This record gives sequence, structure tokens and C-alpha cells, in this order.
Amino acid sequence: MSLTGKSSASRFDRRNTIALKIERFFAYLLFSVLSIFTIYPLIWIFTNSVKTDLELFSNSWAFPEVFRWENYVRAWEYGIAGYIWNSVFVTTISVLLNISISLMAAYALARFQFKGRNFLLYFILGGLMLAPEVSLIPLFRILSSLDIYNTYLAMILPNVAFGIPFTTFLIRSYMLSLPKEYEEAAVIDGANTFTVFLQIVIPLSRPIIASAMLLDAMRVWNEFMFALTFVLDEDIKTVPLGLMTFSGALREEWTVVMAGLIISAVPMIILFLITQRQFIRGLASGGIKG
Amino acid sequence: MINMNKLIRSATPYLFLLPAIAVMSIFVYLPILENFYYSLFRWSAIDPEMHFLGLGNYIRMFSDKYIWLSLKNNVLYAVISVFFQVAVALILAYLLESKLIRPAWGTFFRNALFMPAVLAVTVVGLTWYLIYRPDTGLINQFLRLINLDSLTRTWLGEADTAIYSVIAVSQWQWVGYCMVLFIVAIQGIPDELFESARMDGATVWQQFILVAVPMVRETILVLTSITVIGAFKVFDIVYVMTGGGPNHASDVLGNYLYRVGFRNDEMGYSAAIATLLFVITFALTFIQLRIGRSGSED
Repeated sequence: MSLTGKSSASRFDRRNTIALKIERFFAYLLFSVLSIFTIYPLIWIFTNSVKTDLELFSNSWAFPEVFRWENYVRAWEYGIAGYIWNSVFVTTISVLLNISISLMAAYALARFQFKGRNFLLYFILGGLMLAPEVSLIPLFRILSSLDIYNTYLAMILPNVAFGIPFTTFLIRSYMLSLPKEYEEAAVIDGANTFTVFLQIVIPLSRPIIASAMLLDAMRVWNEFMFALTFVLDEDIKTVPLGLMTFSGALREEWTVVMAGLIISAVPMIILFLITQRQFIRGLASGGIKG
Repeated sequence: MINMNKLIRSATPYLFLLPAIAVMSIFVYLPILENFYYSLFRWSAIDPEMHFLGLGNYIRMFSDKYIWLSLKNNVLYAVISVFFQVAVALILAYLLESKLIRPAWGTFFRNALFMPAVLAVTVVGLTWYLIYRPDTGLINQFLRLINLDSLTRTWLGEADTAIYSVIAVSQWQWVGYCMVLFIVAIQGIPDELFESARMDGATVWQQFILVAVPMVRETILVLTSITVIGAFKVFDIVYVMTGGGPNHASDVLGNYLYRVGFRNDEMGYSAAIATLLFVITFALTFIQLRIGRSGSED
């Protein structure tokens, strides 16, 4: 259970009484009910996603008699495949750009003394509190005048800009906790700043880079508002936006929509389950949500 | 030569910061300044000619009942979210860490409750849209099953229930996430503190109030402010589930300004509402920083 690797076996322990057993029972009961409440909606979507619409309407509780995977084929071919590819593309580019830019900024803020450092620190971290809605209309005009409205870049650039504050904050805190000896030794050996940055600081920061990339990937993958406002073409829509079009077009075929929902949910759930540790380290050091 | 080196060295941090500053200036700060400028005009995307109104758009906000309705919904969002995502999440975290539950099950429960946080807002929104549906939806079918037909509703289609139904979905998505943040914080509390409280005869509940709550105060403060600010920024879940309807009943500021700007094409007025949103989030951040500072002095 320990997330930080620290054992806490004796925590709150007390005598083994009947009262304790009753408390234990209620604790299990509570969390079981909550877990069912959390997971059942997705199971319900899944079981109905392999039914016919008729079966859905007659009894949405029932377990499917025949698993109709053709709903998944139809959802996939109806556009989900394209949306997933677009999401993978937009997410990869945005995350790589954001991480590169933030690594450099974090390094400067963590390791150098210079005029205006505090101002620039607040300049970057200040972005954390801003509601992206506020920049929506001006961004719409800026992107149009740069001639990138309705392109991948129209999603990537705002995503990167609004990701920098948190990613920089996360990496900078980590760098501040790193010992300086390696860097100092390298400088004595004649390495310049860029070599130190590339060959010492970045390798040492690998754990937080992994966490930051994961959290950022989750944010970009799920981003909705910029995609909604800055993209029109079906061909470049990402999953969150594409699902809206998809469900709108398939109003009469709810079971296919459900199949689409499951296809879109599964990659993120798998990613989370295999990377829990990096995920939670990132949350622990950042403590922020989307 | 030496001077040249010195120059390069003193320029280095600025070079490293340049990309971040450039990108943020163009895509974060410039838009905010422009937004304020745009809010002083009447203009639309179709007719880009700008008619100067001064503070006209701001005056109009005072008499726009939908602004007040949206604000009310944002406040409702904030209050309910703080209750579930701070108070309830903290208690759940404490219970999971109390060793009433075996580690393997603890991990399972933690992951189960956390899972919705990784899902895209449209996946969550559409899933619950289907669950709330009056005919085939899970909720009404369940109510019929237990003979509570009188409680069935068009959850998202009735003015009294729409906003609450959406807020409930946000709690479903985020309580587990906040719980995990509290678990991390609780694990950071030194064991000795709980031990000495136990020696003094403190019950599990007393240990919660006397040890856990004070020790995770920082996390409580941060999560409260993130949740409150998040409740004012909320946009996408409302957009996906109700679009603000029926008849504005579930509008929030973010959603209303989007509709005014990109549906009704009143860009100037939309920018003015955005400025209001900016002022609110700015004020909340400022308050949070003040409380945080006064807290760290003792």
C-alpha cells in the first residue's frame, strides 16, 4: 500500500478487539461499495457495447448473450482509429516540446544566479493560475493570423504554452534537491554549461522527467477546449473532440458509441496501471490536477 | 576573449529561459492583455470592425441574469467539490492508511477509486450522459427495479437537477485523485506522532483530528484552493453533458462565455465575461497565497 516505499505497518495499530473487527468490516464494506460505484459505470458501458441496440433498450442490466464485437469494428472504422492516431501525434509532439522547453527553463531557474530571476520564476509559474478560457478569443485570432488555425499546431502550441508552468515547476523542485557535486566536478574538468546540462543534469533528472511526461501526456490526451475551438476538420480531430462528433453522428446507434467510449478509455487505463509509480511520484511532488 | 566568455556566461541562463518565455508570452500573456482590450469593443467574427463601447460590456454584465445564474452554479460547484474532494477524500485516505485494510486490498481500492481521473472528459461525460438517460439509463432503470419510479427523472433535462447531476459526475471523477494526494501526505507524517498520541490514549478518530489533519494542513490548503479555482474554470464537462441547458439552468461562466463568443458571435461581450473569470481566479489565487503565508509563520 505504501506509495513512497516507506513502511508504515504499525500505523494506528491497536489491540485486536471485537470493536476492531467490526471497524474492519465496515471499512471493507465502505470501500467495496465505493469501488463498485466507481467501476460499475464503465462495466455497464462495456456490457452494453457488445449488445444490439434492441437488447440495450429492452434490458440494459442484462449480461450480453452474444458478444457482438462488430460494434467495435464499426466504431473503429467509423473514425475512432483516425482520432486515436491524431491524439497520439498531438500528444507526442506537445509533450516532447513542453519537456524540452521546461527542462531548459527549470535548469536556469534552479542553478543560476542572475538579474530578474525571481521575476522570471513568477512569470512562468504565474501561468498555473490562469484559466485558459480567458485567452480563447485572442488565441483564436493569433492562430488565424499565423495561418495555423485548424491545423495540428493550433492544438500543439497552446497545449505546450499552458503546460510549461507546471512542468517547469515540477522539474525545478527536483533539480533543487539534486546534489551539485557532479556538476562542479564536470566544470573543473573543463565541461561547459551545455555539456553539463546534457550529460549530467538531464540523466540525473530522469525520474522526474518520466513523471512529468506522464502527467503532461494525460493532460494533453484529454484536452478538449482548444481542440473544440481551434479545429474544424474531421481529419485532425483528437479523441476527446472526435468522440463528440462520433456520438452526434451515431445518435441512433448507442451500442456503437459505447464501443467507441471503451476503445478511447482503455489506452489511458492501461497506461495508468503500468506506470502507477511514476504517476504518483509526479502527483506527490506537484499536487495539482487538470 | 575573456570578456567574450564572460558575456556568454552571463547570457547563458537567459538563453535557457528564452523558449519558455517566448512561447508563454505569445500564447498565454499576450492573449490575456488582448482579451482585456477586446472586451472594450462590440465586434464579431463575421464583422471584424470594432465599435468602441468603453466599459459598456461590463455594465451589461450586471443586468445579465445568466451571468448571475452562471456565477451561482460556479459557487455551487465549488462548495460541493470542496466537501467531497477535500473533506471526504481526506477521510477516505486516512481510512485506507489506517491499516484497517490489508495492503493488497488497499492498493486495489486506491487504484479503483483513482481510475476515473485518467479518463478524457468526453469519455466521462458521454458515459454519464448515457447513464442519466431517462429511458435506457442506468439510474432510472435501477430506480424502477427497486420500485422507486416516482424518483425517476430526466436528470440532465430538468432545470432543478441538471447542474447537480453534472457536479456529481465531477465528484465521481476526482475524489479518488484527491484521496491519493492525501495518502501521499499522510505517509509523510512521522510514525512517532501517531505513536505518542496512542500512548496518550487517543482513539483512531482523535488521532485523525489531532495528528493527521494538522500535519497535512498544507495539502488541505493547496487542494482546497485548486478545487475552488477549478470550479470557476470548469468548462468541458458541462459543455459535453448539458451544453449549459436546459435554458441556461446548468450554465457556468466558462461555458456561457464560450457560447456568447463562438455561438452568438458576440466576441466583445464574451471577452468581458472572460475578464470577470480572470479577476475571480486571480483574487482566489491571491487569497490562497495570503493564507499560505500567514500559515507558515507559526
